[in-house]
Amino acid sequence: MGTLFEPFTDVVPSFFGWLNQGPLTLTIFLHTVIILPMFWIYFQEKKKLNK
Amino acid sequence: MANENRSVWTSISFWRRSAAWVTGFAVILLIWLTFDTLGQISMGTDADLKNKVTKRVPAPTVINYHIDYKYNAKRGHEVPVIGDKQPFFGKEWSEEEAAKLLHLGKLTSQAKNCMDCHTLLGNGAYYAPDLTKAWLDPAWQNGGPLQGMTGKNTVEEAMAEFLQHPSQYPTHARMMPNLGITAEEAKGLVAFLKHMSSIDTNGFPRNFSQAAKREQGGTYAH
Amino acid sequence: MLTSIKTNEFAGSESKKLAMMYFRVAIVLFGAQLLMGLIAAIQFLAPGFLFEVFDFSVARMVHINALVVWMLYAMIGSVYYMLPDETGIETVNIGVGKLAFWVLTAAVTVVVLVYIFIQVGSGTEATIWLINEGREYLEAPRWADIGIVVVVLTFYWNVFATYMKGQKTGIMTVMVANLMALAGLYLAGMFFTDNISMDQYWWWWVIHLWVEATWEVFVGTLAAYALIKIIDAKREIVEMWLWIEVLMLFGSGILGLGHHYFWIGTPEYWWEIGALFSALEPVPLVAMFVHVLYDWGKEQGIAKAEGKPGSVMKNGPAMAWIVTNAFGNFLGAGIWGFFHTLPQVNIYTHGTQFTAAHGHLAFFGAYATILIGMMYMGIQGAYGIERLKATFRSKMAIFLITFGVVGMTVALTIAGYEQVLVERADLGGGWEAFFTAQNLPWYIQAQVWRTIMGVVTFVGFIYLVWDLLTIGKQAKAAQSA
Ligand code: HEC
Ligand code: HEM
Ligand code: HEM
Ligand SMILES: [Fe+2]
Repeated sequence: MGTLFEPFTDVVPSFFGWLNQGPLTLTIFLHTVIILPMFWIYFQEKKKLNK
Repeated sequence: MANENRSVWTSISFWRRSAAWVTGFAVILLIWLTFDTLGQISMGTDADLKNKVTKRVPAPTVINYHIDYKYNAKRGHEVPVIGDKQPFFGKEWSEEEAAKLLHLGKLTSQAKNCMDCHTLLGNGAYYAPDLTKAWLDPAWQNGGPLQGMTGKNTVEEAMAEFLQHPSQYPTHARMMPNLGITAEEAKGLVAFLKHMSSIDTNGFPRNFSQAAKREQGGTYAH
Repeated sequence: MLTSIKTNEFAGSESKKLAMMYFRVAIVLFGAQLLMGLIAAIQFLAPGFLFEVFDFSVARMVHINALVVWMLYAMIGSVYYMLPDETGIETVNIGVGKLAFWVLTAAVTVVVLVYIFIQVGSGTEATIWLINEGREYLEAPRWADIGIVVVVLTFYWNVFATYMKGQKTGIMTVMVANLMALAGLYLAGMFFTDNISMDQYWWWWVIHLWVEATWEVFVGTLAAYALIKIIDAKREIVEMWLWIEVLMLFGSGILGLGHHYFWIGTPEYWWEIGALFSALEPVPLVAMFVHVLYDWGKEQGIAKAEGKPGSVMKNGPAMAWIVTNAFGNFLGAGIWGFFHTLPQVNIYTHGTQFTAAHGHLAFFGAYATILIGMMYMGIQGAYGIERLKATFRSKMAIFLITFGVVGMTVALTIAGYEQVLVERADLGGGWEAFFTAQNLPWYIQAQVWRTIMGVVTFVGFIYLVWDLLTIGKQAKAAQSA
């Protein structure tokens, strides 16, 4: 499992490069920030429907 | 829980708002990523080359240097390695001259539509070899069959000769046609190809010309 | 389809007449595309064929340009067709719409003639402006780019103004917003740079964000409209699906762009972004597939329960093509796309016949199919036919074309697989590796099969044209008898 957590290898450091630290860290982070607000939209809609 | 039969999952308004959010945010992320990437793929400067600052896309004056493609253990794939100075068509090109030559080469590559037979950086057509690292191809080096058939003794002169009269140097039934490339344009194209081979493509093509290396021993470019 | 110029029954709908004009040019260009593909395919097998007369690059350029242009024509036609139905009013400025049609058609003719007879120019800006731009799919010279932008703007303005004036359905809201993005993206392909990485970066904005985002959403709106028309699907349900599709298509497709940024000089962080976002791209395609079949089954079930005999389907051939679309989109874009979308795989498959296999099945499955379906919708309207039933020719057309394209795809997949293993994995790419792989019997056999299947496709195309020219008149005669 030693190779599971790869060291940062990108040539030029950048914000996205910094998030890209190991297995899928960057993409999981981006997916999460896209999905999370949908919960908020869901509960808001639920409130509206229940009225 | 008051209204059981009205589920959010069948509410058009929920899906419309979610669609708007996801689309909008994805666009914002893409624009942000684009700024970051554009910064990283802008061409470097002549000073970067002199100071050995690694750029993903080096300055046009990279044509004045020896380029190699070597395995990098940290990154797990090959990367271009810019070495010592090396004359290009027998001379060293100033910043301005090199930029002009590269401009001519890129323009010619579009005017002659190389991309509808070859791939550049792996994109294009699949009728003829990928040109991403053509400059480093063992066949073009001293002793290689392509350089040999043109009777020239540098990579750049051999390539320029071939590009001007490709159908005079057939190696297979499938040939490159004569596209009316002039001597100047051919120089430009070779500069374009050499420059392209210095771009850091994250290891594509992987194990470039591994077979030729196996046969000849030694590095990819001599 | 041609005879409908005179005997057309669109009661007062000029917009639908204009749609038919676009469909007619589209089908001609489709034929030209196939002929050029056959020339290019033959050149793989007999490289001397038309060598230095009509080279592979020329045939291929016309092949893929005709492809993109016929699809744009059929897309514009489809929009003009659905516009009066969706907005409830006539398109506001038909005169400008017709003028734009003729300007565009004249421009396309000049561009194609220049491609065919002048082919290449010298390495100067003038070539980029006047002859060809030399960037796959976007070869159209700059003057034509600008012309296309102007024509598309007038088209867009026409659609937008009609939308604002008429009733605003969910389908049209998505259409109007999506068309703006689709047209705007073209601008990303209209500049020159010496930096090949920069060049490819923006080139993919046009290509990928077209076919894997805006065009897909376009197809979603077309399918929504067509399902309402053909099988009386409920609008609320169809529009809810449409928003779900927009959510998933844009959610995965926009950042899925990263799967083209693995190897063009762009940073390594694109590996992850491209891999995971594009890996989700097949999900909406499955959803669209389920949606079409589910609605069909449901409407049929309702009709049966209500004791209505027969099929709910009002347009057999159109529905057949739309079902083929649902399946083909999922298979060509979804499955064949996923095959090579992870960087671990793509480093070997990038730029091989594998890509061509995917390109063919995806463009055909996702776009050609539904646009042909829209042409059948057009014929039904033009002749005022209640129920358009498939003829023998309709069946031959859909069978042979689909069989041919799937056959080509399978052949190219085999060729690509051989290339991946021999040229890339074993020999590591380069000139010698390339030709070693190209000359192995398995590769050559695959190219032979691709060409045979291409001929099958072309025969299917002849049936298609024949059917489009006759089915309307025949059905009309049967209806009034
Ligand atoms: C009509 C198709 C076609 C076009 C257009 C075309 N080529 Fe080629 N090219 C070929 C073929 C086929 C070969 C293989 C010929 C051989 O090796 O004998 C080839 C070989 C080459 C080679 C040598 C092989 C290698 O891998 O290094 C180079 C370099 C090259 N082409 C560059 C170009 C450039 C630059 C352009 C655009 C100005 C271009 N080609 C346009 C078909 C084409
Ligand atoms: C008569 C049938 C056809 C034949 C013989 C044919 C042949 C070809 C050939 C030889 C190429 C060049 C591939 C290469 O560079 O190696 C090509 C490219 C292409 N064709 Fe076709 N084609 C046919 C039909 C179609 C159809 C129906 C479509 C889509 C609807 C299509 C879409 C494409 C696309 C998108 C490319 C570019 C692929 C890429 O760059 O990956 N073709 N075709
Ligand atoms: C209808 C939708 C689609 C169409 C019409 C389409 C068409 C194409 C075409 C024509 C190419 C070749 C471009 C070139 O000439 O270089 C291509 C490349 C590619 N497509 Fe698609 N595609 C679609 C959807 C998808 C999906 C959903 C995925 C992934 C899940 C995908 C993954 C890829 C990848 C990874 C490449 C790059 C191939 C390479 O590296 O050579 N595509 N696509
Ligand atoms: Fe893509």
